[in-house]
Amino acid sequence: MKVNENNWQRFLAVIPIAVFLVSWEYLAKYQIINAHLFPQPTQIIRSLATLYSKGQPENSELLMHISATLKRLLLSFTFGVIGGILVGCLMSINQKFHSFLNPIISLFMPIPGMALAPLVIVWLGFGDPTIIFLGAISVFFPVVFNTIAGIKSINKQLIRAGQIMGLSQIKIATQIYFPWALVHILNGVRIGLARGWMTIVAVEFIAASNWGIGYMIWNAAEYLRADVVYGGILVLIILYFAIERITIRNLENKTVVRWGLLSQKNG
Amino acid sequence: MNNNSAKATLQSILQTIYPFLVIGVIWEVSVQLNWMPSSNLSSPSIILQRFIDVAFMDGILWKHFLSSFTRLVIGFSLASVLGLITGALLSMQPLLNKMFEPVINLLVSVPTIAWVPVLLITMGLGDKTVITTIFLGSYFVIVYNTMRGIEIVDKNIINAAHSMGVHGTKLFAKVLIPASFLSILTGLRLGLGYAWRALVGGEMLSAMIQWGVGKMIFQARFWNDTATMIVGILIIGFSVILIDQVMINYIEKITVYRWGMVNQVEESNLE
Repeated sequence: MKVNENNWQRFLAVIPIAVFLVSWEYLAKYQIINAHLFPQPTQIIRSLATLYSKGQPENSELLMHISATLKRLLLSFTFGVIGGILVGCLMSINQKFHSFLNPIISLFMPIPGMALAPLVIVWLGFGDPTIIFLGAISVFFPVVFNTIAGIKSINKQLIRAGQIMGLSQIKIATQIYFPWALVHILNGVRIGLARGWMTIVAVEFIAASNWGIGYMIWNAAEYLRADVVYGGILVLIILYFAIERITIRNLENKTVVRWGLLSQKNG
Repeated sequence: MNNNSAKATLQSILQTIYPFLVIGVIWEVSVQLNWMPSSNLSSPSIILQRFIDVAFMDGILWKHFLSSFTRLVIGFSLASVLGLITGALLSMQPLLNKMFEPVINLLVSVPTIAWVPVLLITMGLGDKTVITTIFLGSYFVIVYNTMRGIEIVDKNIINAAHSMGVHGTKLFAKVLIPASFLSILTGLRLGLGYAWRALVGGEMLSAMIQWGVGKMIFQARFWNDTATMIVGILIIGFSVILIDQVMINYIEKITVYRWGMVNQVEESNLE
């Protein structure tokens, strides 16, 4: 019964996508819509395959683009998360530090990474340093913000209970503060990942040299290769889903969900 | 009493401003003493001078700002209205929900900026592309939050409304929307943030656009004009904060706070 229902749901979910893709395919095939602007989905897949096989086996073009983007994401993510948690902890420990940095963070947090790009290009030039720097900034702000919120939201009773049971300061920090704040921190990390991802792809449009999915899409758009543009977007969607699943979901399930701090949504 | 609160306001303003003053002074001094090359980073005094130039002498800043703002308003209002309607429809019709929820989840995760090349190809290099980008940037997140908000409305409230003879549109307007307004507001707030991102990105990448804060920053790059860039960046920062704080907080105050849906912790602490 349950299985049937799940299958039914899956079937319903596939309908709109399938209808959309099939009608796109045939509308483009019979030139009812402009096939240069809206190439057939099969054509999109085919050109992705061509990109993949170009330069095989060592330097498959598609894989080079993907790995360039992933490398940038990994570096900016690491810098952003570590920096964000450090600054967040410092700001929650020291009130002076907090009142000094808080206005600055509030002003700069909503500024899109893309807006900073021209300025950073002047400093760091085109290519990896600029992209990684802007990506790291985009990851940094949500992490800081949520780390502070997490540490602030801790239930004081837990700390008192810990003190009564004779925990040392360090143990209170690692065994009470850290797990409690982790729910918030992970939330910040997830927002940071999404933002960093967006910023990296966006900045690759204007500041990448030669490699990167953003660069691939932008370059294709300049040559009116719509099939590669759509293919690139498809790659972006798949990559993001995979990254989110592998990193954050996994981390959450191993920590906060297992500790019972967060009930798992929808199984 | 009044005096006290004025003093408190002044103090909080000072507290907000002093970090900027400290950094500004350090920055100015280090540029003046040539510790930092001024070609890479104009000193605050030059930035201020540039701000006065573009804002008051020739006034092009406002022209840039106004065209950005117009795009934002058009794109964002379209997204809010259509997003609310779509979200409501999806949450009220189980069949539609099952069919389209996965699609929405999928599309939420596409970086908005990735739409820009597609739109540039299909819709041209002008305003239409930027407005559509803003729309796409904010639409899905508004749909998503409206949907979630209506789904978690207490079933007892709906049953109570039904038994009092409230159905259809009236149920929707008088019960479901107010009951889910907190979540809807979250969606609108997130959507507005995404809309700004989309606006700046779209303006930078659309070649046929002449006016707009994003364009102003982008064009300054050709002359390595860091002062203008920083003026633009700060304008964006301040406008986002202003819109978010003033407009959405105001809406929050006259709706969910007044309806007692949020505990007014901060305000009750002040009293």
